[in-house]
Amino acid sequence: MARGPGVTLVATGTIFVAVFVIGLFAAALHGAGKLLATWAGEVQISVYLDPSADLEAARAAAAAAAPGRAVEAVTAQEALRRFREALGSQGALLDGMRPGVLPPSVEVRAPGIRLDEARSLAKRLEAVPGAREVDYGTAWVERLERLLTRLRWAGSALFLALAVGAAVLVGNTLRLGVFARRDEIEIMKLVGATDAFVEMPFLIEGLLQGLMGGVLATGALFAVAVLALPRLAAELGLAAPLARGDLLPSALLAALVAGGGALGTIASALAVGRELKRS
Amino acid sequence: MIQLFHVCKQYAGDAPALVDVSVSIGKGEFVFLTGRSGAGKSTLMRLVFCAEPATSGQLLVFGRNVAKEKRSRIPHLRRAIGVVFQDFKLLPDRTVAENVAFPLEVRGLASKEVRRRAGGILRSVGLELKADKFPLSLSGGEQQRVAVARALVGDPALLLADEPTGNLDPERTLEVMDLLHAANARGTTVLVATHDRSLLERYKKRVVALERGSVIADGAEIRRAGMV
Repeated sequence: MARGPGVTLVATGTIFVAVFVIGLFAAALHGAGKLLATWAGEVQISVYLDPSADLEAARAAAAAAAPGRAVEAVTAQEALRRFREALGSQGALLDGMRPGVLPPSVEVRAPGIRLDEARSLAKRLEAVPGAREVDYGTAWVERLERLLTRLRWAGSALFLALAVGAAVLVGNTLRLGVFARRDEIEIMKLVGATDAFVEMPFLIEGLLQGLMGGVLATGALFAVAVLALPRLAAELGLAAPLARGDLLPSALLAALVAGGGALGTIASALAVGRELKRS
Repeated sequence: MIQLFHVCKQYAGDAPALVDVSVSIGKGEFVFLTGRSGAGKSTLMRLVFCAEPATSGQLLVFGRNVAKEKRSRIPHLRRAIGVVFQDFKLLPDRTVAENVAFPLEVRGLASKEVRRRAGGILRSVGLELKADKFPLSLSGGEQQRVAVARALVGDPALLLADEPTGNLDPERTLEVMDLLHAANARGTTVLVATHDRSLLERYKKRVVALERGSVIADGAEIRRAGMV
């Protein structure tokens, strides 16, 4: 690397940019997933019952289906009262309505529940005697989840495209370094060096440059996360701000550094492979 | 040691570089390959060194058909061949000792053994005091002696020298030729490509003459017939 500091700098910089962009996208997806889980975790599942249903029996069945969760039976009168309260000053609109206009229900509070758990609990609650409809109020979260799933697929495709593009770009940059040392390669082959012997220093160099680019990129991502997280929490009105690990878990950071190393190694192999074919 | 049977070499868009060349060089021989520029001397050297394949014909080096050798075997074949070029092909950012030691490092020899053998060969070419110098600080003759030392350090069975004295004055030419002769005396087969007639006159060795890619004469009789 000391023989071509310019090429080393450009190659490291290219890997830095590639890993940073990929990391930014991965962090955004990961953060969105966490937010989704947080929003889903605030769900309250309501089991709407037939007016003739036995409310106490339904509450007991719901408590059995959701062990450890707070379960409350809400009569039709109580439901109307809460609705009126929710309407505030416009509560008078409900004057004259008979108490049975809203169905009785059983409400299950499930703080911290994951979306898939909420879905499965709702399914179990459908078996509550007298249950007419189970609403876990997460239709929009589900839509968001579907969108995120699509984004994850798109992200994987983007990651692949970026990785291939970066490998070609870094490969071309490293070719400059290989080209500058073509005489050395020619002489190595002249004295009987195997392809592996010729390639090894270039691969090690590529690996080190990749790791360096990866470490720098994760450092930059870390800095961005630290700066952006409080603002993001304020913008989204989150009660509990996202932690650094919600955006950039250690496994992702490690994967990005390793990815940088792999990118540098593959790019080097491409660059020196071409020169070996030529010579 | 080297056998060529009806070897042809054609580069795309060019006149044939070698045409139906059949030559046999035995173990321990010293052979001059001569001819004008473009006669095919360097091409023949490159084929023997497995730098490129023949277009047609058979080429055997050490009894092995090089066209049938796996690519991964070629470096091992090359380790038994020393090569010297007109332009030396030394690494400018490595010392004389490092340049000479390079073929041994490539073979993975222990560093102590590498130092011992490189030091020995540098003494034999009279450059032991220049071991720590860089090639560009040496004269042309000295650089070529380093190149010869590098070619011989691995104790090759075959030494190929492509115009080894082309850049040297007469005195340095004799020094380098003496080194090649000494290697031949120790049993190394030597093939020297040159267009320097004075060398052919001075050293009474077998001469293979090429013209436009074809062998036009082979043997000591060339000299007697005044063809060189």
